[in-house]
Amino acid sequence: MLNTFLKGEKGTRLRFMGMLLSAILVLLSVFTLTQKGLNFGLDFTGGYLTEFTTSQSVELKELQSFIAKNHNGEFELTAQGNSHFQLREAPSASTTANSLDWQSAVTQNDDINAQVLSSAYIGSQVGDELFDQGCLAMFTAMIAVMLYLAVRFEWRLAVGSVVALVHDLILVLGLFSLLQIEFNLTVLASLLAIIGYSLNDSIIVGDRVRELLRVQSNNVLSPATIINNAIKSTLTRTLITSGTTLATVASVWLLAGAPLQGFAIALFTGIVVGTFSSICIAATLPELMGLSAKNYEIKVDAHTQTLLDMP
Amino acid sequence: MLSFKKDKKPSTAKFKLSYIAMLIVLFLLAISALPNLYPNKSWLHISAAPHSETQSLPSTKTLVTFLNSQGLEVEQGVDKQSTINVLLNEPTKSAQAQAAIKAQYPNTQVKIVEHATSPTWLQDFGLSPIKLGLDLNGGVLFVLDVDLDKAVDEQLVSAYQQAKSIIIKQKAHGVKAQQTQHGFEINALPNATDKLTPVIEELQSRFANLAVVTSNNGSVKTAKFSYSEQGRSAFDKEVMGQTLTTLRSRIEELGITEAVTQQQGKHRIRIELPGVQDPTEAKRIIGATASLGFYQLKEIGGQTFNMQSGGTIKLDPVPIFTGDHINNANIGRDDWGKPLVQLSLDGQGGDAMSAFSKANIGKPMATVYSEYSQNAKGEVVKKSEVINVANIAQHLSSRFSITNMKSQQAAADLALLLRAGSLTAPVTIVHEQTIGPSLGSENISNGLAALMLGMGITLAFMALWYRRLGLIANVALILNLTSLVGLMSLLPGVVLTLPGIAGLVLTIGMAVDTNVIIFERIKEERRQGRAPYQAIQEGYKQAANTIFDANITTMITALILYGIGYGPVKGFAITLALGLLTSVFTGVYVSKILSQTLYLKMGKKAGVKAHA
Repeated sequence: MLNTFLKGEKGTRLRFMGMLLSAILVLLSVFTLTQKGLNFGLDFTGGYLTEFTTSQSVELKELQSFIAKNHNGEFELTAQGNSHFQLREAPSASTTANSLDWQSAVTQNDDINAQVLSSAYIGSQVGDELFDQGCLAMFTAMIAVMLYLAVRFEWRLAVGSVVALVHDLILVLGLFSLLQIEFNLTVLASLLAIIGYSLNDSIIVGDRVRELLRVQSNNVLSPATIINNAIKSTLTRTLITSGTTLATVASVWLLAGAPLQGFAIALFTGIVVGTFSSICIAATLPELMGLSAKNYEIKVDAHTQTLLDMP
Repeated sequence: MLSFKKDKKPSTAKFKLSYIAMLIVLFLLAISALPNLYPNKSWLHISAAPHSETQSLPSTKTLVTFLNSQGLEVEQGVDKQSTINVLLNEPTKSAQAQAAIKAQYPNTQVKIVEHATSPTWLQDFGLSPIKLGLDLNGGVLFVLDVDLDKAVDEQLVSAYQQAKSIIIKQKAHGVKAQQTQHGFEINALPNATDKLTPVIEELQSRFANLAVVTSNNGSVKTAKFSYSEQGRSAFDKEVMGQTLTTLRSRIEELGITEAVTQQQGKHRIRIELPGVQDPTEAKRIIGATASLGFYQLKEIGGQTFNMQSGGTIKLDPVPIFTGDHINNANIGRDDWGKPLVQLSLDGQGGDAMSAFSKANIGKPMATVYSEYSQNAKGEVVKKSEVINVANIAQHLSSRFSITNMKSQQAAADLALLLRAGSLTAPVTIVHEQTIGPSLGSENISNGLAALMLGMGITLAFMALWYRRLGLIANVALILNLTSLVGLMSLLPGVVLTLPGIAGLVLTIGMAVDTNVIIFERIKEERRQGRAPYQAIQEGYKQAANTIFDANITTMITALILYGIGYGPVKGFAITLALGLLTSVFTGVYVSKILSQTLYLKMGKKAGVKAHA
């Protein structure tokens, strides 16, 4: 008896320390986000599009590495034929200087001998309106999920899950801001996947907490012990699923090449912090807000019982 | 416990029935997934241009030799009666070949058409591989901005012009139309108030979205016309719909069959043209806002128009009919060899033309060509020009020609635009992006490699960790992937993009979650001392709740994403949502039946009744 109590206490201490760590990381992320901002890709910012032809056919990869030497910013080169290319680059003031560098380099190089056909500013793929709409939809999704969880579980567990979710998103964004990795449409898609993943983890822990709280004989145990037990019994599952998902994401990172690099980095981080937050936040926060077996005793009347027993 | 015993008999019958249903579903999905093993090949279809005078299709042999000489090696050239079908060794170069053929044989029409390579019985069922997005197929992406404000202004001006002519037509003396800041108003003097109502009614029947507010200003009755918020949004919707339809038919005219045209946000349109590598022609046609109208000349009053040849001319502001009533337009040449456009009108246009020309033989009629363009300040302005004024020589009907075209190209473009319909609102291309076909195929192979590796790791791990149950999970996982691919091929409108492939990989990673939850539960039940078969039953039953909650919440996010997303994000949301469906189906349903069968059999083998 004493043994389990001690174990429980140790687990609780670990959880609270993890939560403290999370809080510090969130603060750091918010700090870099406000200081450095995100490095939005061309999908969001728009930029300059330059079309040029070369006097003889040039391999795309060779040209790519040649221009990379003469270009400081980020750019995207596509081939439209053996000797016809398009280059997209960011619009900021400093890169206009760069763009002249690479343009003079390709036009003066004897092997490439390029001729610039046109250079024009193009708008973003994502309009402002759509970006706002996207943020609104994300917000709606969160509210919808929170409502669902509040009905299915208990509002404290629902709040825990959603706070964990926001925590995951902020940390991933913070990492992207800190390392200034390009934030494009695919990274946005991965953020959306993280929402799904993070909720999944939190729900499975929350589900077990609910189950243990409802068992009458557990009334004597403190909520902290019950939460610890719930985490312990779902830990193997959490680790295995995170492990296999991480393995698949890692294989995308390794093999799928540059277009999905940002996507893989975002998901990888998201899964790691998601697993962490499902234990340290989603399960711990309800305890702080006063979750106890009593919440369920009162609630389980005939009507709620049928709701809870839904398959 | 009692109830469990009671429904033991029906449960075996139910078990058998669900077993059969499951097999049928799996079989159907597997069949649907099958065409993906046979990727489509893009062929070139070369035919004589439909409206050229000379039938100048080269022979198949000459064409093949020409292409080979251009370094575009031909794998197969098939002579179909009126078209030649060519398959290149490297189909990704089809766009290049298309341009080369067009340059060499200007009077031909070259289309890139996807041919299925799957067995015919699969095609007979209407089954085809998953559609690939731009990032996997190569092509051009355009985002267009539709200037709705401009369209509203135009519409108000047009309504004002028509109001003036209605007043004249109804001989409503004492009624006067006047332009205001936000529209226009019609004033009626005290002795003419009864004539105001029919004018308003006539105008409202022509412009349904226009709102009217009548008021008495002293003895003058005033009707103010403007767009209410509701009318404005209805008008916007109408314009966007019309623009989409027009753009779709223009793209069809360009010979691009697999294009994706969709509205993005309130006033933007996203066009994906797979397989297109040279955006110049597409850009010229898609962005063009040319329209045509036929007008009566006016000596007194009327609106002043510029002549293409210089000078100005006064015309009745209300056209006899507009380009909307043109059914077909072909190019040709007149007796002096100058290019012209032959038109044929629909019933309404034909009637208008017939009535007008009958009453006005010997009188002139003006053809006005209007186009939107950007001025130096970047504002969109409408430029209208009278391209020709001709005397009506005879009673015309639904077929006649427009002469005096600047060049062959101008005639061809005008004919194409008239066939496809004109845009009511000016559009500007705000974003343009070309993705090379080589990059596309590289993306596919990289994505597949990642899928294979991720799947391999997962399969190996599950087999090692859970042993026998792991095998069931692995069978379920493979069935899951097959079902997902089958479902994606089956549903129209599902497009696989690069993030979609990533979604597929992620789905595989997460699909085992369902099985892991169940198996861990089964292990727990076993530790509590239950028999294997009962532990399995209990494990599936207990885990069902958790799995249900976890998947519902993810489904909510996937659906909201699908609702607001477009392009790559939409592709990802579809994969995610369908992946959830198939993983619950295979992870819970199929693997439950599999493990029950497996343990039931084993139990019998060991000579122990499974449910003892």
